[in-house]
Amino acid sequence: MKNHLRTLREDRGWTQGALADRLGVSRQTVNALETGRYDPALPLAFRIARLFGQPIESIFTPPEEQDVREV
Amino acid sequence: MTNKLDSKDRSEGDREKSRAYQGEFWPGILAYAVVLVGVLVWGELDGDSPWRFLWAVLPVIPALWIVRAVLRHVRRIDDYQRLLLLQALGGGFAVAMIASVTLAFLEIAGLSVPGVGWIIYGAGMLGWIISGAVVGRR
Repeated sequence: MKNHLRTLREDRGWTQGALADRLGVSRQTVNALETGRYDPALPLAFRIARLFGQPIESIFTPPEEQDVREV
Repeated sequence: MTNKLDSKDRSEGDREKSRAYQGEFWPGILAYAVVLVGVLVWGELDGDSPWRFLWAVLPVIPALWIVRAVLRHVRRIDDYQRLLLLQALGGGFAVAMIASVTLAFLEIAGLSVPGVGWIIYGAGMLGWIISGAVVGRR
């Protein structure tokens, strides 16, 4: 899943460690999130959204092929 | 500016968790080493005394402390770190299982390998460490 967490963080002048402390996760986790190697569970996704004051879907973009199709 | 923001330094939270883990883990390791030396020096594990069995299981007590420290650490870390730890443990477990099956077949084939338990333990630990290093680099 793509995201623009890095841009949001850098816009605020935060290091990965500073963001990690604000989210209550490790710096390694923030790095994995930013590079798309890890998709957060819902509680963390909500914390991120709340921290940046944006809805989850404006921070995280699922790849098109993973879009939910209507049944 | 960007370089500063790309700092790979651990966060304060990381350092705090690490300190708590080290503070619980290393006393366990120290106690384990002390008990182990005591067992090897006074245990007479190769003697005839029935007490030797009690001596032999004595290191379990500090080992349980180490297990407690690891479990508490697992509860402190976040989901992603838990995922990495699980993958590393899975690697170690797979290596230990392969080693144990291989040694069991060698034994059936007539090859007596002394210290089988230690070999399996060593293989599992090595597998855990190597898997941990590999998944940590990803």
